[in-house]
Formats: sequence, C-alpha cells, structure tokens
Amino acid sequence: MILEIRHLSKTYPGGARALHDVNIDVAAGEFLVILGPSGAGKSTLLRCINRLVEPTEGQILHNGVEVTAHLGDLCAVRRQFGMVFQQFNLVKRLSVLTNVLTGRLGYRSAWRSLAYSFPEADKRIAIECLARVNMDHKAFQRADTLSGGEQQRVAIARALAQQPMVILADEPVASLDPKIARQVLGYLRESARDLGITVLCNLHQVDYAREFSERVVGMSHGAVVFDGPVAALTDDILHRIYYREPGEAQKEEA
Amino acid sequence: MGGIAPLSAADGVMQALAARKRWRLHHIAFAGAAIAFLAWCAEGVGLRPKELAGALPAIGEYFYRMAPPKWEFAEVLWKPAVETLYIALWGNVIALMIGLPLGVLAASNVTRSAPLRNAAKAVLNLLRSISELIWAVFFVAAVGLGPFPGALALGVNFGGILGRLYAEALENIDNGPVEALAATGAGRLQIIVFAMLPQALPQFVTYNLYWFEVGVRSATVLGMVGAGGIGFELVTTIRLFEWRETGVVLLLILAMVTIIDLASTWIRGRIY
Repeated sequence: MILEIRHLSKTYPGGARALHDVNIDVAAGEFLVILGPSGAGKSTLLRCINRLVEPTEGQILHNGVEVTAHLGDLCAVRRQFGMVFQQFNLVKRLSVLTNVLTGRLGYRSAWRSLAYSFPEADKRIAIECLARVNMDHKAFQRADTLSGGEQQRVAIARALAQQPMVILADEPVASLDPKIARQVLGYLRESARDLGITVLCNLHQVDYAREFSERVVGMSHGAVVFDGPVAALTDDILHRIYYREPGEAQKEEA
Repeated sequence: MGGIAPLSAADGVMQALAARKRWRLHHIAFAGAAIAFLAWCAEGVGLRPKELAGALPAIGEYFYRMAPPKWEFAEVLWKPAVETLYIALWGNVIALMIGLPLGVLAASNVTRSAPLRNAAKAVLNLLRSISELIWAVFFVAAVGLGPFPGALALGVNFGGILGRLYAEALENIDNGPVEALAATGAGRLQIIVFAMLPQALPQFVTYNLYWFEVGVRSATVLGMVGAGGIGFELVTTIRLFEWRETGVVLLLILAMVTIIDLASTWIRGRIY
C-alpha cells in the first residue's frame, strides 16, 4: 500500500467536523476517484495527506512511514505529493515554463531560486513534463493568456515536475466544460500511468468517475460511505453518497 | 402555521424591506451629528467665506502680475529643475529600499509572527507621520545643504507610505497560487518570491510611478529648507516680488508634473 489512511478525523477550530474516522488504503499506481457532494470533506482529506491541513486525529502512512510524524521537514513531505486544484492556481503573471519550474522549488536551495535561476536539469524536466500534457509549444507564454483547460494542463505539468509518488487532484475539472474536462482527465490519467504515479482525484460528477477510474471511494458528511469497484456504484449507493442527511449519518454510526 | 394565512414569498421580502427602511431614521440622525461636528470644527478653523470672496480679486492679482512670464529666467531654472527630478527619482529609490522589506514584514499573509508584523507597522507609521519637510530639516542639519538631504527626506517619508501600500497590495493577492506553491514543497521565502511578489508587482509599479510624480511636487518645496531643487528659486522670487519669474517657475513645475503623469500612464498601460 502506498497510502494507508487510518481513523483520520478533522474538526476545524470553529467546530465544523470535516472528516470523521476515515479509513482508506491506496495501492501504488491506482487512479482512485473520491466521489461526493460539495462539503463532504474531500478537499480536507487531500489536504491532510500533504499536510496543508493538520488532522485532529488519526494517521496517514506513506509507504509505511507516517506523514503526520515528520514535524520538522514539511517541505520534504509535500514535494512527494503533487497537487492539482479546481482553480488551477497558476501564478498568472509568470510564464508557463516558470510555473512548471516552481514544481522543482522543493528540491532546490532558496538562495539560487530567489534569482529565478534554475539548473539545466530542472529546465529539462519541466519541458518534458509540458510535453506530456502537450503544452510545450506554449512554454514562453504568460499563464494568463491560456484557456482554462490549457491552464489545468500546465498545472498538471507542474505537479509532474515534482516527480511525485502521488498526485492529489482536488476537483480538477469542476470549472471546465465536459469536452475539455474529459481531455484534462485523460492527460492526468495517461501521464500518471506512464510514470507510475498514484492519483487520488476528487470529483463530484458520477459520469467522470465511471469513465476514468476502476475504484471509487464515496464520501458524505466527512465519512466514507462506499469503497469499491466502479461497477458496484448502484443508484442506491449514489443516493447514500449524495442525499444522505447528517442525522442519518449519526444513526449509522450509533 | 396556526390560523394565519401563509404570506406569499414577495410579501415576506416586502416586509423585510420595510423593516430595513426603518433604519433610515438612524442614518438621518447620524448625518445630522456629522454636520454638527463639521460646523463645530469650522469654528476652530476660522472659516470666513465672506472674507475669502472679498480677497479673490487680490489673489487673481498675483496671477495677473505673473503675466507675461519672463522666459529668459528659464535659463537659470534649468539646472535646479533637473535637480528636482534627481531628488524625486532617488527619493523613490530610497523609498523602495526602505518600504519593500518593511512592507513585506507588515503584510499579514506574508509575516505570521504578530510581534514582528506590528514592529514593522510601527516603524512605517513613524516614517510616515513625520512629513518630508520636517525630515528635510533634520537631514540638512545632519548632512548639509543640497539635493542629498532632499532625496533622503523624500525617501524616508515615502518609504513609510509605500511600505504600507505594498503591504496592502500583498494582502489582497489571490491565495490559490500561494497554496499551490506550498503544496510543491517550496519554502516560505520561495513562496514569497514566486507566488506573492509577482501578483503584487503591477500595483507596486503603479504606486511607485504615482509617488514619483508626488515626489516632483514635494521636491519643489524642499528647496525652502535648503534641501535642493527648484523650491529655492520659487521662494526667492516670491520674496523679491519677482512675479514674472515666479510665473516661469510655476509653469515649469506644471510642465514637469504633466509630462511625468503622461509617461506614467503610458508605462502603467503596459505592465498589466
């Protein structure tokens, strides 16, 4: 197992309970879709894995080593997990290539990178990653000149440039139209498959989950309510994922 | 529900609207209090509109005496005018050197340590609250007469102003790229340089261009306290009642400010 999530809970300081006793095992090389409505805790789950969010309870084991234990070197933990966001989160005024090069920052000393200077080897990695998502021809354009789908492909290249073990994709296609969304998910799945990268992909659309993954984890109100092959996603289970009331959740736990 | 007929949705909103309108009474009371306060302050300022109206012709007289401007005087003004531009330029460079590090330290999304942030804000407040003219008096006493104390005075006061504006520009950036770079494993300093500063840069440039223009205007008064620039000539001609020369000085200042305004508009149009 590349990732073992054990009894993970997260309660935000305001008292909002985002995750409750989540247990998921992820095998190396999987393309796992985490399906659920907005507010189900999917984003919090991904952010606990690369520790953008500190969990309240529980453990996350990465290749058997607990990521929550590395108190000192947060950067070293984070660079092993690439992340792709709903809003792409590129630095719009920088070039496409510089944006992808920021994926290398975790490996480089602060002082050299402050001058926007990167080793040749990093530039080669960045351009190869751009080629994987078919964006190398726009390497020198400013990121804000690209369309949404193109920006997300560049964001995938940035995650690939980290040479990560795992990519965490948080609603990567939620702000794209269906045609472009399928194209972007295709690039994500193919490049991850070629490089042997495991992908955890949050989605709220059932169709894409059916098309792109073999295994689905369904979440509702901070809890896992389904974990199984995509073929087992019946209407009943979808109802549990999307329409379950918080009260029912407590009854089930009791 | 009881026996009461349910209101239509529109009726409910209409009632809410009426309830909100009741607050207007409160607003009128507030506006009345504000006007009363302004009137009380007018007493303190000694506003005398009648006397001002009577004095208008006399003020017009000054401008009448300035015509026609004595253009030969421009030959003498040429050097101090250029010196004014130097002062404004270097004043801005010094302001950038002081304001940028302090502004970064004062921005709440960049500096997490509250004591450090408050210390930076306190220094910025101090620099800003003492006007450039007062700083010029200090620096003339410290380093002697000439344009150098003028540039220092502008730099220190503008550093305080720009630092605050830089901090606000940084606080208004989109946090998404910041989170994305944190997720790549970039360090704090790398995040500031790659995700924060590029987003705030257009605003930094805009502020610096604007304060360069303000600097040219300010530099024209620094000469009054011996800190270089065209202000010395301005004050001298006024004291000697050489109105036609004063006219030339004022026109020259107007020309410089206009040219800088046009140039900065042109530059700003090209940085976004």
